[in-house]
Amino acid sequence: MEYLLHLLILVGIYAMLSQSLNLSAGFGGMISLAHAGFYGVGAYTAALLAVNFGVPFLLVLPIAMLLSGLLALVVSAIALRTIDDYFIICTLGIQVIVFSLMNNWMSLTKGPLGIPGIPAISLFGVAIESKWAFLLLTLFFVALIFFFLKKLTASSFGLTLRALSEDEIFTQSLGKNVYLSKVISFTVGAMLAAVPGVLYAHYISYIDPTSFTVDESIFILSIVIIGGMRNLWGSVIAAAFLVFLPEVLRFVGMPNAIAANMRQIIYGGVLIFMMFRYSRGFERKAADNLF
Amino acid sequence: MIMQIICNILLSFFIYTLIALSFVLCYYPTRFFHIAHAITLTFSAYFTYFFSQQLHFPLYLSIPLAIIAATAVGMLSEIALYKPLRKRNASPMILMIASLGLYTVLQNVISMLWGDDTKSVRTGEIKVGNEFFGAYITDIQIITIVICLALFLACVFFMKYNRIGRNIRAVASNPELSNIVGINSDRIILWSFGIGSALAAVAGILIAFDTDMTPTMGFNWLLYGVVAMIIGGVGSNWGLVGGALLLATAQHLSAYYIGSQWMDAIAYIILILFLIGKPLGFSGKRLKKIEI
Repeated sequence: MEYLLHLLILVGIYAMLSQSLNLSAGFGGMISLAHAGFYGVGAYTAALLAVNFGVPFLLVLPIAMLLSGLLALVVSAIALRTIDDYFIICTLGIQVIVFSLMNNWMSLTKGPLGIPGIPAISLFGVAIESKWAFLLLTLFFVALIFFFLKKLTASSFGLTLRALSEDEIFTQSLGKNVYLSKVISFTVGAMLAAVPGVLYAHYISYIDPTSFTVDESIFILSIVIIGGMRNLWGSVIAAAFLVFLPEVLRFVGMPNAIAANMRQIIYGGVLIFMMFRYSRGFERKAADNLF
Repeated sequence: MIMQIICNILLSFFIYTLIALSFVLCYYPTRFFHIAHAITLTFSAYFTYFFSQQLHFPLYLSIPLAIIAATAVGMLSEIALYKPLRKRNASPMILMIASLGLYTVLQNVISMLWGDDTKSVRTGEIKVGNEFFGAYITDIQIITIVICLALFLACVFFMKYNRIGRNIRAVASNPELSNIVGINSDRIILWSFGIGSALAAVAGILIAFDTDMTPTMGFNWLLYGVVAMIIGGVGSNWGLVGGALLLATAQHLSAYYIGSQWMDAIAYIILILFLIGKPLGFSGKRLKKIEI
């Protein structure tokens, strides 16, 4: 039971990550491989503030979001000079830079040794230590982010985003500020990615750079694509599917080491399959989505 | 010490040039980032290991076999994945993500077949390299430099004077028009994938003999090649050489002055500086999708 709760918490964390990426990748058309970097910035901010200064969770959260947002603002100023596949390469570069900062800035992040002993979250004097309580907290944030993104994408700003992801020049000719809309959606996406980062750091109570690699970025992007571009529910379902997949494989009797590889082979295969469905571009009807 | 740094720069420079060249051959006619190219590089190293260490074939037999097998992987990915996607009018970005999926699949296949630990094809005892003006350079490094130089020159002449090489350039500049004048663009793209994959396979084997192999080794090397290509600008061989030289120099100088762990970050910082300052690369050919 404890293990099932653990998996559900992970589903919640990946659901938040993929929803926040869905804002920039799905709605804004900016497919980014730097998302694990922003996730990591959130986690490291939480870890450093909580361990070194004992800052409470409710204060850590806005600081982490702010830092991640600032980084995203700088990144978008550079990366948004390019589009499509060059944008992916550019964000990949940023992901590698962020990772090597985490891995090599020994005096701040302790490098590959990681940061142990991150305290549990305490809200209004009540420490959230049991898995049940943490699961409720995670679900609360998943719901919060879900409704926020639902409202945001249904607003006129969301319409502008959809329009620019389909035809930038046309959107610009209608008098919309394309560049600003892109910067905003990328930054908001990165700020939201800091939330699961903070939760993850407090939950696992130990973080090291290996949780925030390029592979993790590819994984988050796969969740978004498998769940369906612009489909927030799809992201949640795909996150659950991909987190439970290795457990199912283990259940049917696959050894541990192979199950991990098998999961990656399956999601790589599904990614290729989705590209055949999306081959005419991402701006398709909802009928093309799996979920 | 200076000589040693120069030697290291030269070695990296030649390998980057070879990898960038092999990548450009796939990129040039199709205009998408063939990420799974990294796997061709890894596969050739592991096939060499498979033939020489597990089947105990002699090296002169196992190296050509490995190159052929790895080239087949590259060409198969073009036939089975990219060609059907191109027929469905997929954009370069869709092709790139499909390629990312293929990379994930094949990299894990390698992990499953051979395990995640480091494998080595070096059999002889480790010996001190040759001294060369105060710098140490091993035999395999000299062989690497010679082979890279030979392959680069051969490739330049091939693209300029050979019929297939000229057809590759024709398809790169306009696929529809070359179809009209009777060039089968699919076959030409297959050719350039074949040649590119073979070059990457050679690079993979050379790297494996110098620094051993892990299932994820290809990705970093490929990205250095991609960075060299973007710095140099696509479509110019000499731009490519300049990009590789700049990248190798910056990396090794930073490794000497700051620390070797920052080499990855330096490569991308250079890439980003170029995207800000000189977005079209050295050669200035307008290929990049920058600003609308």
